[in-house]
Amino acid sequence: MPDSVIVLNHLSKSFGAVDAVKDLSFSIAPGVIFGFLGANGAGKTTTMRMLCGLTHPSSGNAAIMGHDVWKQRQRARACFGYVAQRFSLYPDLTVEENFRFFGGASRVAPAELEKRMQRLLRYTDLIKKQNTPAGSLSGGMRQLLAVGCALIHDPPLLFLDEPTSGLDPVHRQQIWDLLYDLSNEGKTIFVTTHYMDEAERCTEVGFLESGRLLANAPPRDLKLSFRTKLLELDVDPVMPALVQFRTYPGVLGVSLRSGSLRIYAPDPENLLANWKKNWPARDVRFLRERWVEPDMEDVFTAYSQGYDSLLKSDGNHSVAAEKDDAASAVPVKGVR
Amino acid sequence: MIGSLSFHAIGSVAYKEFLHIYRDRRILLLLLILPPLFTLLFGHAFENADRTDTPALLINRDPTPKTDRFISIITKNKTFKWRQEPASKTDEADLLGNHVQASLVIPAGWSDSLASGDPKPLPLYLDGADTNTADALEGGVLKSLGDFQLGERDQLVENLPDVVIDLGRKLPVDVRKQFVSLMETWSVKSIVLYNPKARFIEYVTPGIIGLILQLLTVTLMACTIAREREAGTLYQLMVTSLKRGEIVIGKMLPYLVISGFLIVIVTAVAGLHFKVPFHNYPMVALICLLFLLCSLGLGLLISAFSKTQTQAIQFSVFFLLPVFVLSGAFAPLDQLPKVIRYFAEIFPLTHFCRAFRLVNMYRAGLGFYFVDLVVLALGALITFVGAAFLLKRIEE
Repeated sequence: MPDSVIVLNHLSKSFGAVDAVKDLSFSIAPGVIFGFLGANGAGKTTTMRMLCGLTHPSSGNAAIMGHDVWKQRQRARACFGYVAQRFSLYPDLTVEENFRFFGGASRVAPAELEKRMQRLLRYTDLIKKQNTPAGSLSGGMRQLLAVGCALIHDPPLLFLDEPTSGLDPVHRQQIWDLLYDLSNEGKTIFVTTHYMDEAERCTEVGFLESGRLLANAPPRDLKLSFRTKLLELDVDPVMPALVQFRTYPGVLGVSLRSGSLRIYAPDPENLLANWKKNWPARDVRFLRERWVEPDMEDVFTAYSQGYDSLLKSDGNHSVAAEKDDAASAVPVKGVR
Repeated sequence: MIGSLSFHAIGSVAYKEFLHIYRDRRILLLLLILPPLFTLLFGHAFENADRTDTPALLINRDPTPKTDRFISIITKNKTFKWRQEPASKTDEADLLGNHVQASLVIPAGWSDSLASGDPKPLPLYLDGADTNTADALEGGVLKSLGDFQLGERDQLVENLPDVVIDLGRKLPVDVRKQFVSLMETWSVKSIVLYNPKARFIEYVTPGIIGLILQLLTVTLMACTIAREREAGTLYQLMVTSLKRGEIVIGKMLPYLVISGFLIVIVTAVAGLHFKVPFHNYPMVALICLLFLLCSLGLGLLISAFSKTQTQAIQFSVFFLLPVFVLSGAFAPLDQLPKVIRYFAEIFPLTHFCRAFRLVNMYRAGLGFYFVDLVVLALGALITFVGAAFLLKRIEE
């Protein structure tokens, strides 16, 4: 097995004058659950489609298990399963017929297909729904079926494009449990999401913003990349404070967390000292302050808003950077 | 690439495609009911090419025994359904108002003019709007008029006084024979070949088969890839290890089987119900197969460049419209201007109808329709390769 399941090398895609994906270089090791994060339109889906050989790179290249994703896409495709963002199985075919079709299409031998299908039916908890048309399944079951169909040829790598968007928490948990099982079996998972709590569940996270990779590291490392803890204030009333504080000098941004204000500031201790001396909002009452560890949402906010001053300047969060080749080209953080 | 196509993979695609058709009850019903229904409908519509019972107006302003004789002849003419109106009616030129397509007037003094050696023409008003009817109706009237004239002549000869007969006997024999000959109507003895009973249904059968097949195959096939694209399943299909050739062949197979079944139904209706004779079944089957492949390929081609099913249907209709008019399915092509005839040669239906008729009606040898077979085969090849090529473009 190669060291890396996926290797991207200056991968770029432009549609006319618009650069959807700019110069991505990183690699993903076997068994990793790689969370590909970014806002809508950041280029996540385009990147994933390039990796799946559905659209060709404008420049650069990428390889899956050593096969070029475009020039050898036929071979590369045997190595991965793909779960699209939109439900894209056949609604008029039953669960079993969908399995059989994708098995046949992926060249699984008939005897083997039978075994795998039974296993995947158990795995995805769809045994009872075996003869139900896919179109009549609930959203969560559809997604489980889509994952199941993507696994029918037992690929070492699974791509999922926002697999939990629109699902209720119970089904989200079910999908993630399935992904953990797969990861435990040694499969590599490449999943896009814009849920920050899901980013926490990944073993590695890449942040994409306007087609550029801003960071790439395990979630813990990303959280540790903050220079200080974050300042949280309890005030009353909250909303006027939230709106006013955003514009104050020395404040980069303010977010509301469980009724408290989380302040993003380059020098929060100094800020707090000043505010305690001279409280800036007359109509808002200060109750108490608290220091909290940053979470993934803070990481995402810092990276996507370009709050460079919050982050350690020596931090090297990029997996690709360690591997060097073109490390200099990999934007590690705040390259905007 | 073709060499490494997997039978199992093609089978998977074909079975899936078959399930789509089978599960869509409306399409299934359409496939099973429409072809025999269309055959019955079109067959009876085109069964009889002769014009009969055309509503016509007859006004007699010359009440004599002679005109009565003429009227009794012309009212037996099946081309017309005469409505006799009194002599006082004067709006004979208003065909539309009288709900007729022709009106014939026997003017006062007509029988006298026939007797006096200066026969008056009969005024005949004709509806010339559709450019065919007028000629046919005029021919019908002229035929009855000719019959009437012959009868009158025979009566005249019958009643000649013996003196004239005796005088005639004095003529030299060869002149007398010439006279007898001239008194007869000269005629042809027609031997009608290829469709001796002159049944139009036998001529249009390939047109009906071709029309139904083309309609169903092109439109249904055109929707297959467009539907996957619309539903987002096309990408899912593309990321499997399926090759384009496998997708194309797999998608086509169920439609080929269904179309084959439809051909059997339609020919059965034509043969059993309309008594259309069929000849050289293997060759007819080959022609049908090539035509089907060509039509399916066309559908696939349309499908590959349509983004949605709606577009696919629109493209199909735009393609099928000129085909129905210019392919010679229902009317011979040889009367069309040369340029248009060349244009008609690009339609598969043109070659299908020609080859089908050459085999089934003319019982011609392979040499007569070999070119048509080649054109159909080429058409199938070009459309399939084109569709596979367009699918490649989708990927990129």
